[in-house]
Order: sequence, then C-alpha cells, then structure tokens
Amino acid sequence: MTSTITSPRDSQSPAAQSTSEGRRRRRRPLGRNPLGLLFSAPYLVFVIAVFAYPLGYSVWISFHDFFFAAPGADVPRPFVGLQNFVTVLTDPAVIRSFGNVGVFLLINVPLTVVLSMLLATALNRVVHARTFLRVSYYIPYVTASVAVVAVWSFLFNDGGLVNSILGPLAPSPSWLINDHWAMPVIAFFVTWKQLGFYILLYLAALQGVPKELYESASTDGAGALRQFFSVTVPGVRPATVLVLLVSTVTGANLFTEPYLLTNGGGPDGASTSPVLIMYQRGIEQGQPDVAAAIGVILVILVLIIALLQNRFAGGRD
Amino acid sequence: MVLAVAALAASSLLLAACSGSGTVTTNKPNSSKGPITVWYSNNQQEVEWGKQMVAAWNKDHPDEQVKGQEIPAGKTSEEVIGAAITAGNSPCLIYNTAPSAVGQFEKQVGLVDLSKIPGAANYIEARSGAVADQYKNTDGDYFQMPWKSNPVTIFYNKEMFAKAGLDPDHPKLATYAEFIAASKKLVASGVAPNAILPAPSSEFFQSQFDFYPLYAAETGGKQIVENNKATFDDQAGRDVANFWATLYKDKLAGKEKYQGDAFADGKAAMAIVGPWAVAVYKDKVKWGSVPVPTKDGLAADKTWTFSDAKNIGLYTACKNQGTAWDVLKFSTSKAQDAKLLELSGQMPLRKDLATTYAAYFDKNPSYKAFGDAASRTVEVPTGPNTVQMLQAFRDSWSRSVIFGNQDVKSALHDAAQKIDSIAKQP
Amino acid sequence: MAVTGVQTRVPRRSRTAPKMSRGQTILRGVVLAIGAVAFLFPFYYMIIGSLQTKSDASLGGALPNLSNMTGQNYTDINSRINLFQGLLNSGIFTAGVLIGTMVFGLLVGYALAQLQWRGRGVTFALALLVQVVPFQLLIIPLYVLIARNYGLADNFLGMILPFAINSTAVIIFRQYFLQLPKELFEAARIDGAGELKLLWSVALPLVRPAMVTVVLLTFIGPWNEFLWPFLITKDAALQPLAVSLANYISNVAATASNPFGATLAGAAVLAAPVVILFIVFQRYFISTDIGSSVKG
Repeated sequence: MTSTITSPRDSQSPAAQSTSEGRRRRRRPLGRNPLGLLFSAPYLVFVIAVFAYPLGYSVWISFHDFFFAAPGADVPRPFVGLQNFVTVLTDPAVIRSFGNVGVFLLINVPLTVVLSMLLATALNRVVHARTFLRVSYYIPYVTASVAVVAVWSFLFNDGGLVNSILGPLAPSPSWLINDHWAMPVIAFFVTWKQLGFYILLYLAALQGVPKELYESASTDGAGALRQFFSVTVPGVRPATVLVLLVSTVTGANLFTEPYLLTNGGGPDGASTSPVLIMYQRGIEQGQPDVAAAIGVILVILVLIIALLQNRFAGGRD
Repeated sequence: MVLAVAALAASSLLLAACSGSGTVTTNKPNSSKGPITVWYSNNQQEVEWGKQMVAAWNKDHPDEQVKGQEIPAGKTSEEVIGAAITAGNSPCLIYNTAPSAVGQFEKQVGLVDLSKIPGAANYIEARSGAVADQYKNTDGDYFQMPWKSNPVTIFYNKEMFAKAGLDPDHPKLATYAEFIAASKKLVASGVAPNAILPAPSSEFFQSQFDFYPLYAAETGGKQIVENNKATFDDQAGRDVANFWATLYKDKLAGKEKYQGDAFADGKAAMAIVGPWAVAVYKDKVKWGSVPVPTKDGLAADKTWTFSDAKNIGLYTACKNQGTAWDVLKFSTSKAQDAKLLELSGQMPLRKDLATTYAAYFDKNPSYKAFGDAASRTVEVPTGPNTVQMLQAFRDSWSRSVIFGNQDVKSALHDAAQKIDSIAKQP
Repeated sequence: MAVTGVQTRVPRRSRTAPKMSRGQTILRGVVLAIGAVAFLFPFYYMIIGSLQTKSDASLGGALPNLSNMTGQNYTDINSRINLFQGLLNSGIFTAGVLIGTMVFGLLVGYALAQLQWRGRGVTFALALLVQVVPFQLLIIPLYVLIARNYGLADNFLGMILPFAINSTAVIIFRQYFLQLPKELFEAARIDGAGELKLLWSVALPLVRPAMVTVVLLTFIGPWNEFLWPFLITKDAALQPLAVSLANYISNVAATASNPFGATLAGAAVLAAPVVILFIVFQRYFISTDIGSSVKG
C-alpha cells in the first residue's frame, strides 16, 4: 500500500534505491530527510484529530449492537461479532446497491478518463476564446446540485427535451424511471458534472509535458493522432492514475445524485447506492451499526479496486 | 496500510478514553428554573409565531429568559436533532419534532418523559382530547407534546375542473370510482397532464401523502401498525393500493417526480395536502378542497385522514427543565394556539377546535373543513423503528403500486411481514 | 489570496503548439464549441429560469421570453437573506480551508514526493484512506467530537476543521511534485539549499498549474458545502451562503410567487462568485516549462 501511486521516475531503479536507503536507515532512524516528517506533522495531527476518532469509532460500531445516544445515557451496547456484516450481506437491497455502483463505475470511470484527457488536450492548444471555453467546461462542476438536477430532469423527464428529440426512439418508461436506464443516466450525469475537475487535473499535467517531446515527434513525422498517443498519453500518466483513483473514490461514495436526481434511489431501488443506504439506515432509521458495516465493506472494496488500478495503470515500468 | 489503520485505531482509542462523561443522563425530568433555548421551524409563518411567543414570555419572566432560534425544517431537521442529542447540546424545546422520529429520540435518551412531570399527562389530555392517545409510547407515556396538525385533504383546481366539464363547486370525488372517472376526464380533456401527482419517490415519508390518508379514511382511523402487527394486509389496504395502482397504470398520475410544485404550476389538477397549502396556493390557484376518497364514499364529517403533525419535544440536555415545561404550557395555551392558527393556518391539536376558535373559522371559512378534520387524524406508528417500517412499506409500494413490478396483494403481504419482524426488534 | 506565494512573473505566452492541419484545427474548434454548449446549458437554463415571472417547464421555457421576465426572484432572496453576511461567512470558511490546504497540503505533498523519511508510506496511505471513507459514515461521531470534545460548535474553527487540509489536494500535490525531476533538487541540495528554500524557490514555481488547480478545486468544497456548516452552526449570523440559500430554497421559496425561479436564483447567487474566481484564476494556467528549467 505504501506505494500505491508511484511515478515512473520514482520506481525506475527500485533495487538500487532500496539498498542505498537501507544503508542510510541504519544511521538515520527517521530516514534520509527527517524534515519530511516535520513537513507532514500538521497534516498527521489533523488526520488524527479529525478522522481517527470518528473512523475508529465507526469500525468499532460495526461490531456492536449500537445506536447513538445522549452523553451519559446508560444503554447496553453488546459486542455482536460479525452479525451486522451478516445482516448487510444477506440484505438484497444492499447487495443490489453495490451492483448499482459497479455499473456506475464501469460507465463513469472510463468515460471520465477518456473525455477529460481528450478535452484537456484540445483546450490546452486552443488559442481563441480560451477563457470562455475553459469556463464553460468548469461550470457544471461549480453549480449547486439543486439547480443542475432541475436541468437534468428538464432534459430527461418524460416530456423533456431528450425524449422530444428522440421521438419514438425514447425509452419507455422514461430514463429516470426506467430500471435499465436510471443508473446509466446517473453515470452520465456525474461524468458531465465532474468532468471540469478532471480537465483541470489534466490541464495542469499537460503543462509539465516537455515541449521538446512534441517537437521531436513532429520531426519524426508523427501526426497529431500519433503525437497524442506517443507523447501526450504517456506524458500525463501520473495524472491518469490520479484521475482513475479520484473518480473511483467519488463514484464509490455516490450519494447526492440518487438522492436528488432519482429521488431516493428510484425507480424501485434501481439506482440505490451503498452510501444512500448507509444514510437511510444510519441516520434516518437509527441503525448506525448496520450503516457502519456497509461503510467498512465499501472502504475495503474501494481500497482493493484502487490497488488493482494502480497495479495495471500505475506501475508498469 | 496496516500500519496506518493501526495508528488510527490507537489514536482513536486514546480520544475515546478522554471523552467519557461523568454525569448520567436519563429520561427523568428535573425541575430547575432559569434561562433556556428553544428551536422553532424556519418557515416564515412559524418564525413569526415563535418570535412573538418568545417575546411574550420574556416580558413577564426576566429571570427565565427564553432564546429562540430557527432550525431548518424538512428532510434534514431530524438529522440535526439526532446529532445534537448525541453531542448533548440540543436545546430545551424543539417546536418541530416529527412524530416519526420521537421513538428514536426516546431510545437515544434524548427526550424527557413528560408523563413524569406532575400534571403533564392531564394537561396534554385536557388540551388534545382523545387524539392525544396515539402520541403515547407503547408504555403509555408521553415523550412528545402533541402540538399541531395539518390534516391531509384533496385540493382541486376549480378552473381546470370547469374546463374539463366537471362541477367546480361540488365535484364528485368521494368514491374511488368517482375519483378515477373525474381523473380520466381531466387528463383526457388535456387541462393537465396529471390528475394528481403525489411525489412518486422513494423517501420513507412519502407514503404519508398517498397511502396513509386513504387507509385512515377507509378504516375509520386505523394505524398501519397496531400492537406490533401490521394492519394493512387486509381488504381495505388492498382497495387503497389498487386505487392508486389504477391511477398510475392509467397514466392519471405520473411516475416521475416533478421538480417544483405540480399543483401550482398547473401540472396536476389535484393535490393531496394539508392546510399549510392554503397560504401557498391562495394567489396562484383557484382551489377547492374535499376529503380524501373512500371506496364507498363517506361524508366529510366521518372521514379520517393523516395528521401530518409536528410536536414539541423537551430534550434531556436541557438544564432548566422546570422552566422548559412552563414555557411549553405557555406556548400551547389557548391564547398562543389562537396566534398559531392566525399566523400559520395550521391546526393546534386541541379538542373542540371549531368551537373554541369559532370566530376565526367564521372569518376564514376556507379553514373550516381542516378544523373539523383535525379531530379525526391518524398518526404514524410509535416506537423506535417507525422510520424503518415506513421505509419498508414505501419500498413495497414503489415496487408494486407505482412501478407494477409485483402484484399489489403480495407486495402488501411482504411489507406486512417485514414490518412485523421489524416490530419485534428492541 | 493563498496563491500570493507564487512568483508573479509575467506569464509567457503559450508555447508553440504542435503543428496541426487547418482542417484539424477547425474540427477541434467545432468539437470544443459543441461540448461547451452542452456544458453551459444548465447554467444558461439556471439564469433564464431564475428570471422568469412564472415557471415554464415546457421546451419553450428554455428560450428567453421578455414578457415573462423579472428580477423579482433576486429581490426576494435579498429581502429574506442577508446576502452580505452570508458571503462574508462563506468567504471566511472557504479562506480558512484554502489557507490550511495550500500551506500544509503543499508541505505534505512535497514531503511525500521528494523527501525520504520514515512514515512516508503510512502518511500517504492515510491520505488515501481519508479519501475513501464516505462522509456519511463519519458525520455523527465527527459532530460529537468537534461539538462536544473540542467545544467548537457555533464557531468558525469548528466549521473549518474537518475540511482544513483537503486530502485530495495532498494527493494532487504529491502527484505533481513527483513529476518534477529529482536531479533538479539533488543539484540544489548539493549547492547547500535548505528544504524550505528549495520548496519555495524551486518547486513552487514549477507546480504553479497544480496550485491553481488545487485552489479551484478546494474552493468548491467549502463553498458549496451544506450539511456540515448546517450541523455545526445554529447561529444564523455564522451561516455561510450555501446554508442560508438551502434554507431559503427548502422552506421559504415554496411560498414565493415562482418557487422554481426562486430556487434557481438562489443557485445562481451561489455559483456567481465561483465563476468569477475561475475567470480570474484560470489565466495562471500557463506552462512552466520544466524541460528548459532542468537544462538551464
């Protein structure tokens, strides 16, 4: 886990590095640059002060028969082992929500990576109307969900713009109340809303791709397409790893969209997400123990996915 | 990674150890007096009421000053209250305590048992009469003061009814058959895309505005859970469910939630709402109101409905519960209830409402029906698992009645079984 | 704001783009323009809707119609909400988060990418873990911790604290610092430069696009955040704009003459400052040529 995201440069000569590090570690217990610890200290204190207790507490909750109570209240909270996990894993609604998020990720993550990389590359080279174009792509990301959701329902509801254009090709029932389409529409929605964020990440990364590489590729007679694949794509690989990670994590934490756009995971549970169910169970229904178990399972699954992604996208060379 | 988790676990244990608190919290009231804080709902009318109530109290009680604050109502206010209970910083009184959340707050030792305050139970029952009964918990104790209700009725758009060739002053909407016939006429004539459009979404509370009022009317005031058993898996329940299923199936009611107010925007010819809607629709729609329909049609003065009540809770974090109880009584006095009625148009949960405030109802005839209906209202089931039960019901309802993925009969049966097993939980 | 630390030399004009044929350039322009329309539409719709006297959800409602236009929805908001106070509170909340993230996030990002020290892996894993955990899991314990144990309810510090150092920003900084060639730093270290000086005068100027990114990304979180400030502040005088607008939208707007318009007007008021900020800041997205710095 320690090197989930390693830059190509970082891992070029792991063997050489580790031996030299090993030699140094004997002399310096804090590593070669103990200053790093000092630099990180505020962040570590922050994480411990703000996240350690709630997170540790949530994990503890998931193994107990637990509900939130007033301070000083005398309530029994027996240890129940894996019972909450059993409850969760035998609940078809929970299983379905994990499946829904799986569908979501399969659509959202690849689409996000491809579109944001392409658009950022194009935006980076554009000369005219630069500000206008960049602002346009950034806007959905900053606009409050309540307004954006109103627009999407305007577009995708039964008598909406999309169905008017499609005419007889429109799905029935309409998108957001269709078992098969609700989740894909949410995935498109999130891709569209978050794309500005990932475009920014790629734009920043593109500034770091040395222009000499393009020049030499150009002298070798590579066209724009070849340059894109042979210079841009490898040049922004660290950013791609980042985009993969962040989009997977945000996707796994999907909540607002099924809550607002499909009004609580409708139709008939076709767009529920684990976090939505956590919210229902933990906060609305007063069963934080069950919610915590869902949370723990979700965190573990996401970490596994992040690890796998990194294996395949991050550490090839 | 393992190290990271271990580090976090260690530090969290450390923190947990520091956070132990010495005092013991119970549901038992104390009687000390002094300044208190209260929260009221933040819609304009109730803020106005809250402010004048606090000012009136403070004028006469210099040593027991009340500080009033707004809390946001709606979906998130239960979340705020739940968090405040857990942190021990809830105010003394909250004039926006949803009955569906009271069981949970009680279980969390967040609410004071009012029945333990001398004279409190008598006060509540003298004010609200028989309706107060359904606000008791299973042991017969009051953890909430019944305050105000919004008895749910059918609003209809007079202009649309006239255009569709229906009698706008005496519409025939009493029986299911009449209601469906009128709906068909409304939609077929093209005056509105939907005859009626209750939110078809999956939140637990939505059933309170489609199934619940009609089931109350059909059964003469039965709750959906009685003595820890679901009641709705019966003929009345199936009739109500089939009625709604017909509306959805025949496209008289949309399956998609409208972003905005369908009734105000002319997207639906009818709405199923309480008296709060009078103020909202008065300049927008020429409306009339009738009781919710029943299978065979009942007279208005025999029709039960859902209460949509908001109550007052006295919270255990309160230091000066003696003052809090006095303020509670003051704010539910005859004079303050009159103010509430006047400012918000919502119905104080008071018996003989129509006679007590006869002058008001003479001046505002549009509220008369609500004042009368307020004495025949049904509440959500009590206990700590109310929301869980309502969500289970809603899920089955979505599956069968709205989206037709399961037949109504077996869906109600499944929901009843699930609710029975939820009711067995502690 | 937090970016004043960046050396503000006059940005060089964009570097020479790789040669493209005229046809390709035009195609690219067309694609980008179509995309821009798709992305701008909601914003446009929000503005149009917020100016309508009567809400029109039909297709025609997406077109401006002078007979159905009013500024009423905005004056309504202004009469119910203290916009100035809300903006100020949002500003304080957001600035606190930005400063925390820019100062401390940058330090960690640099340490994670360019320094070798014990605990580096653990720290990075923590940053990742914080990312992965859904907020809904933590919210009540977090509230209890901050309101009860730290006593920071109704306090800007309590509002800022859970967001004080954005972990996504830490990961972004790390990633962009990793892109910088190590030789650059090795050379400077041999010259005897201290780490802080290295960070300040060598690393920072090179990751300026990343810093702009982080500002623009971190800004949105607290600016649009509703649930946390709403939980932690009961005092209306401390509430950020997002909270008062959400209150307005969920409660007051229903009684406005055009509830939908009032809602959209609220959203527009909330979005406007961010859009302006973006327009101002995006100009700093200019290449800082690493290749030539290494050589030079």
